[in-house]
Amino acid sequence: MAPDPIISLVYFVVIVLAIILIWRLQKSTRFLQTSQQIRKTLVEDILKQLYHVEYSGRSASLNAMAGALKLSIKKLLRLIEFMTDRNLMRFDQNTLQLTDSGRDYALKIIRVHRLYEKYLSEKTGFDKSEWHDRAELKEHTLTADQTDELYQVLGNPRFDPHGDPIPTASGEILQPKWQPLSSLKENITARIVHIEDEPDVIYRQIIDKKLHIGSQVKMVAADENHIRFYSEGNEYEFSPIVASNVSVEELTEKESFEENMVRLSALAPGERARVLGISSECRGMNRRRLLDLGFTNGSEIEAEFDSPMKEPKAYTIRNTLIALRGDQADLILIKKVL
Amino acid sequence: MGKVEEKTGQIIDLASKLRWQVGDDFHDKLTESIYADAAVISSRVESTRDRKANYTFDRALDRILTSRTFGFPIMILILSVILWITIQGANYPSGMLSVLLLETIYPFLKQVSASVGLIWWIDGFLLDGVYLALAWVIAVMLPPMAIFFPLFTLLEDFGYLPRVAFNLDTLFKRSGAHGKQALTMTMGWGCNAAGVVSTRIIDSPRERLIAIITNNFSLCNGRWPTQILIATIFIGALVPNGFTGLTASASVIGIAILGVFFTFLSSWLLSKTLLKGEVSSFTLELPPYRPPRFWKTIYTSIIDRTLIVLWRAMVFAAPAGAVIWLVSNVDIGGDSIADHAIFYLNDFGLLVGLNGVILLAYIVAIPANEIVIPTILMLTVANLNMIGVGAGEGVMFELDSSMETGAILKAGGWTLLTGINLMLFSLLHNPCSTTLYTIFMETKSARWTAVSAVLPLIFGFVVTFLVAQIWRIIAGI
Repeated sequence: MAPDPIISLVYFVVIVLAIILIWRLQKSTRFLQTSQQIRKTLVEDILKQLYHVEYSGRSASLNAMAGALKLSIKKLLRLIEFMTDRNLMRFDQNTLQLTDSGRDYALKIIRVHRLYEKYLSEKTGFDKSEWHDRAELKEHTLTADQTDELYQVLGNPRFDPHGDPIPTASGEILQPKWQPLSSLKENITARIVHIEDEPDVIYRQIIDKKLHIGSQVKMVAADENHIRFYSEGNEYEFSPIVASNVSVEELTEKESFEENMVRLSALAPGERARVLGISSECRGMNRRRLLDLGFTNGSEIEAEFDSPMKEPKAYTIRNTLIALRGDQADLILIKKVL
Repeated sequence: MGKVEEKTGQIIDLASKLRWQVGDDFHDKLTESIYADAAVISSRVESTRDRKANYTFDRALDRILTSRTFGFPIMILILSVILWITIQGANYPSGMLSVLLLETIYPFLKQVSASVGLIWWIDGFLLDGVYLALAWVIAVMLPPMAIFFPLFTLLEDFGYLPRVAFNLDTLFKRSGAHGKQALTMTMGWGCNAAGVVSTRIIDSPRERLIAIITNNFSLCNGRWPTQILIATIFIGALVPNGFTGLTASASVIGIAILGVFFTFLSSWLLSKTLLKGEVSSFTLELPPYRPPRFWKTIYTSIIDRTLIVLWRAMVFAAPAGAVIWLVSNVDIGGDSIADHAIFYLNDFGLLVGLNGVILLAYIVAIPANEIVIPTILMLTVANLNMIGVGAGEGVMFELDSSMETGAILKAGGWTLLTGINLMLFSLLHNPCSTTLYTIFMETKSARWTAVSAVLPLIFGFVVTFLVAQIWRIIAGI
């Protein structure tokens, strides 16, 4: 006859828990890694961190480095000894400094990281909040050949999806002329060129507000507590800390600020508009699909009707009725025609 | 040679220099200029009639079909009518086909083989195995498909189906899927293999894979008869006579709705785990309405959908019939292979509230869900050595009355729990081999084919297991 149901259920729960446990273990980064691989990862993380600190013009102390990488001082010292032996860095008077070969190494890692983020944004469907963490894992395992292949496949990109320049294979890196959004003067118009993806908490706050790279902004008011600015038909208010993680470039004389540029999602049924373009946040296959459908500069578009559940909405473009979801309509920039 | 290489090098250098100048948005500029050129060319050659009247009619119809008040009721009404026509309408041709193939041609073939003195195992292998399985699949499968697919294609041709996807998209979006999956899911109620083929309408890679893998949770027409029969025998019997039919129908619809629930659940699971990194892009065109081209639609839906699927099913059903006959007729140590298999599968079967016969039937009847019940009956009778029922070792059969079928099953140790769990397992098990083959042809990936087979099987065993244990705990008290 059938076995005791309660005992069977207990077995079942145990098996399910075991599967969940194995799944979790497998996801953790250090699962089945040799101590050499772990050390390589740590060394590369230190180099990268040091490069970022030096790049921003500060100097790195032992304590700050240990804090940033969540390492004990003792362990960090051992790694520093290992790295100075290999002429990757110098350590004197409590400051850490990169040597030339260390800087080259760091740029290689950064190149892989940014290329991989570019790859994730163009060729996969991972959400942008995941790009950074996935690239953090991949940057330690990709070989030089694989990196070059990735570079070719992506069409020799210059910038990663956050707007950071990608170092070339020979270790050259573009020096961008950015300024933080928080330093923009009132009524000055600019374009968002970079959104910093670290720390994660602030990055998520920015992407939750649906602010996009490539968008034009106009500063409304800035003081010590609030930064208020206008972009694509919406007004945003950030705290200075958040705003300083967004970098902008002032518009040149050739670029004009589109005063009435709004997002397609703001078009109500019955209203007409002219398409100005697709936001640079819309990438890869999505972008090509929208271009193919005729969402190009100058196309006329009319909002027709909504679905019973509000989304998607139907639009007529080039004599065709196309339904778009809200997050797609957010990425199409238009100017209303009255 | 040296000179050519030098020139090539120069060109590549120039190209990589220019690349820095064209900027990131040169693809956009290219498309814009193509559209601009196309507009110039078409304005020279195109003469347009005034389409205003058509346009207003389309919009008015759209307002009704996608309205907040009428959108969903109209959708449910149309779908119910199609399903009702299919199930009711298929009964007559199915009955005729089964009289023709099983009650006229089969005895005739048996007679011929007896008169020419065919060796018994060739006769059994070919007629009782291969022929019977084929006949069963054709009789059960052909009529519903020949009714359902043309009706569905007519709606598609008219332009209504994209509006259904438009209405339901939000629901599917929540589980990471595409609105058009509503259509492939509905198509799956006709036949999963056809449903999988129809996922071609979804052009986003991730959403298409989701639709392919979850199509199996749409109760296909090979499984409706099983559901109705078992519901009538076990669940219908719980209520007074007059309500049997109603209760049975309600529980079958309940199973179908459970299937929809599992479609959403596994879509959500897949989009959060296995399919997370696949590219996803949403586009949905709402074409203008037009009167459906009736005969063309009938022709293409019969040829493209019905006959291709039927052919594939027959290719797979024939060897299955042979296997079914063989496992019952090849003896090892005095018992048939089937008896051995049932013995080994029985413990696990009982654990999940089924039994060894059911599990073996599902293994040998992988090619077609239509032959599961005949196989179960045959195996039960053979396994219990019942005398006076059935048609002999390895010969599938069905009985005219559900009462008699119920009597055999109850003699095989079936309870209400077995009945309910069989209904659940019939919904939640691997797709038939025709569908699996189609999935492989569509995805060209052994990995996704394996996922499509294993995922529903895991759901099936977990659900039947939990139902059985909870049932026994409650019954024990």
